Amino acid sequence: MIIERILIFLLFIIGFAAIVAMPNIIKKIFGLNLMNAAVVLLFILEGSRIGDQAPILGDGVKHIVDPIPQALMLTAIVIGVCISALALALAVRLYKATGSLDINVITKRLESEH
Amino acid sequence: MKALTRMKIMLTILILGLAVLPVLLSDTPWPVQARDYLFETAKSDTGADNTVSAIYLGYRAMDTLGETLVLLVSITGTMSILINLGRNKVDEESIGFSLEPEKLPRHSLRTNLIEVVASKLGPIVLLFGLYVMLYGHISPGGGFQGGVIVASGIVFLALGTELKTKLTNTIVLSRIESLSFLFLVLASISGVFFESGFFGNPVKSLQNISPNFIILLNIIIGMKVGTSIAVMCIAMMGGSHDH
Amino acid sequence: MSIETLSLAPIYLPLLGAALILVCKSFFPTKIRRLAEYMGTILGLGLPPVIVLFLYPTLQQQGSIDLVIGSYAPSIGINFSFDGLSILMILLAACVTIPAWIYSRKVGPAHSNFTALVLIQNAAISAISMTSDLFNLFVCLEVMGVVAYVLIASSQKGNAVHASFSYLMFSSSAMVFFLLGVFGLYRLTGSLSYDGITQGLAGLGPSEQKTALFSLVLLVVPILLRVAVMPLSLWLIDAHSKAPHAVSALLSGVLLKIPLFALIRVLHLTPLASGMGLPISWAGTITALLAVLSALAQSDAKKLLAYHSISQIGYVVSAWGLALHTGLETQAGALLLAASLFHAFSHALFKALLFLSIGTTTDCSGNRDVYMLRGANHRLRQEGEVLPLTMLCYFIAALSITALPPFNGFFSKTLLTYSLKGGWQYAILSVAGAGTVASFMKLSRIFLPSKQPFEPIVKESLPRFPFTLHLGLSILAALCVLTGIFAPNLIFFIGTLLGGAYALDYGNQFFFSASNLLKTLYTLFGGIALFALAVSKPGSKVLYRLKAMKSSFSDLFLGFAAAIAALLLMLLQH
Repeated sequence: MIIERILIFLLFIIGFAAIVAMPNIIKKIFGLNLMNAAVVLLFILEGSRIGDQAPILGDGVKHIVDPIPQALMLTAIVIGVCISALALALAVRLYKATGSLDINVITKRLESEH
Repeated sequence: MKALTRMKIMLTILILGLAVLPVLLSDTPWPVQARDYLFETAKSDTGADNTVSAIYLGYRAMDTLGETLVLLVSITGTMSILINLGRNKVDEESIGFSLEPEKLPRHSLRTNLIEVVASKLGPIVLLFGLYVMLYGHISPGGGFQGGVIVASGIVFLALGTELKTKLTNTIVLSRIESLSFLFLVLASISGVFFESGFFGNPVKSLQNISPNFIILLNIIIGMKVGTSIAVMCIAMMGGSHDH
Repeated sequence: MSIETLSLAPIYLPLLGAALILVCKSFFPTKIRRLAEYMGTILGLGLPPVIVLFLYPTLQQQGSIDLVIGSYAPSIGINFSFDGLSILMILLAACVTIPAWIYSRKVGPAHSNFTALVLIQNAAISAISMTSDLFNLFVCLEVMGVVAYVLIASSQKGNAVHASFSYLMFSSSAMVFFLLGVFGLYRLTGSLSYDGITQGLAGLGPSEQKTALFSLVLLVVPILLRVAVMPLSLWLIDAHSKAPHAVSALLSGVLLKIPLFALIRVLHLTPLASGMGLPISWAGTITALLAVLSALAQSDAKKLLAYHSISQIGYVVSAWGLALHTGLETQAGALLLAASLFHAFSHALFKALLFLSIGTTTDCSGNRDVYMLRGANHRLRQEGEVLPLTMLCYFIAALSITALPPFNGFFSKTLLTYSLKGGWQYAILSVAGAGTVASFMKLSRIFLPSKQPFEPIVKESLPRFPFTLHLGLSILAALCVLTGIFAPNLIFFIGTLLGGAYALDYGNQFFFSASNLLKTLYTLFGGIALFALAVSKPGSKVLYRLKAMKSSFSDLFLGFAAAIAALLLMLLQH
């Protein structure tokens, strides 16, 4: 029960640590994806505790899992992917503009240009 | 990294970890009201067997509209950023585009094997994507899932050299994309004229609810998602050959 | 057309306009595209405010229009609630978006994509101001945010892309925390609509109340991030100063205020959350002071304006927080909320005007440094401007922000500081007012005559100054003056929209009373003194030190963590 949530928490914290601590901007985007994945897993895992069959009605289906977290997470996954795509495009643009993928180097080079 | 920065980062991670932990580890049993209500009424309200489709295309269709908007805006932004990498001025007039092709020789990574297999697999993947789109109301699937598979099918077609179809032409794809967005907005407003409110099922007053509205929404969303992601992928690959 | 569908018109009309523009962009050549853009804008930006005003009499009878999207059951569908606050938000958005769009026709990004994005953003703003559902709030905040990221990066310069990237990473990671808050509340109550959550949270045990509190803090702080209260405001400086001018006006004017007023409904979910009002109010007051001191130190004109945005939002948040703390049913609470709304409205108008006029001036002069740039009016005349309209509009906006009569800033700031009377906050905000005067005296120096010899202006070789630029500026300036002259009526209108239990009757006798005018005079003298201090040698050394303090990417998140820690500690003490 609780070990799964501890693991999801670890995944979340690793993703957040990647955003804050890693200087490479592509790794920051990885971190954002990890955080999103952790939250999606959490919603679906916890929602599945109250039943044991997929939420598709039909003959002989009695105890379905909670369909609301699944529907919410469909939306959240798509939003996360779109934001990652936009972030990657921005990262490529920054690389073309400054020649580096390290956020500190990028900041310094952009300031000195301006 | 300096010691001060390292301490700041440690402190940030520590505080946020502690703030999130009680929410993650709470022991309250998961609520069952929603599941029970949907088990009873999802089929009669929306006509779908797949309760997840009933939620995100029926009860909470506004969230799906918002999600489509996020997709539209982010693909627009990504395309405008990537197109201008090869040029200096923004050219508003062009409705077709191609990126500056990669500096590698054109076929160094695309072997004959990839081209032949991809062009043969392309139509099969498209067919599978259409199946997932259209059967979203009775089995797992739906507009988004099917749309992404359709997009990958179009990318397969673009990777192969045997076919020069209209389907990989970016102008045609962007026309389909903008038309499907218009149809989505019109479909959502149609409920207004049929007395069931914004995003209501226009055929709600009938006795036997059929899932036609959900199928229609699935098709529209699938086309939108498929064509916009395909346009982005083809543009990243360097434009279409026969442009 | 029933009342319910009319009240949802501000959402689907802009979307219809955007869809038409995008279809015409793909199919037709340029001429039809331009026509489609104008029609789409009239449909999407022009119609909704009219419809919203048309619904005002119904609201006076009913109080609010509650509906479920799609007419499903309220426990499972998305609930929307259209009340007076929604009308104000939609009107505020329209008053800033329309002049900014007109301005951008010749100067700023002018393609069909820009218009379509602005329409989509307006639809999201209208949805946020009406929604009564937690996950719908998440989706609409993400739509609003993603349009902001794309618009900031639209000028393609390296600086703008960097600003957009930082804002994107910061805001998106905060929204993941928001999702965790939604998880916590859904687990406790089984519902996502505000009414369902309120009912569910009413009967909870003490340990579950602790989880509810943590979830609420995780919900509130990401929304406050978009409002840019300190310590969450470090993203704003780059994002607003490096964006194109019309986009800066939109961001500063509209996007900072909408999440704040949507937060009112979230904080009413449970009485547990009422303890958050006071700490947020204090954060706002300190923001107002610190940001204006940083603004004094800046040399880049648009960065100075961005710091002022943070400072004025601090004013709005102080009154808002205190209103929630004293309770909106009391007379003091209603006055505080009305004052904060009125100041938000005035700030949207004069800040948009400032960004647009300073943007034009620095573009024509080629220089953004306030220490170097002089004789800006002459440069404007060289670019073809016949009447000094840009300078006039700038001075109208500057007089508004420094709270001098008869412009709207005077009325809104006076009402706001009056409602906070008696306490430390009053004193701190007065000092911040003096600071505003000082830094605008510093900014206005760009219109002083330059020491270098002028080139004579040759009449024949002048390009034509864009008419749409002047039109956009004049609309905003006229609104600043009109909302100032009709301020008592506007305050009364806001009072009736907010519930109407207490009539807010503050006429001209109140605003032009001896004590208020004296206070304005003191603020003016304090500002002049502060300005003299700032340009003196020791003063400029201090300010130079202040300007050199840079913040890195990880400092953004440290601010986020600090805000969450502070709110949690204050709430857990009860």
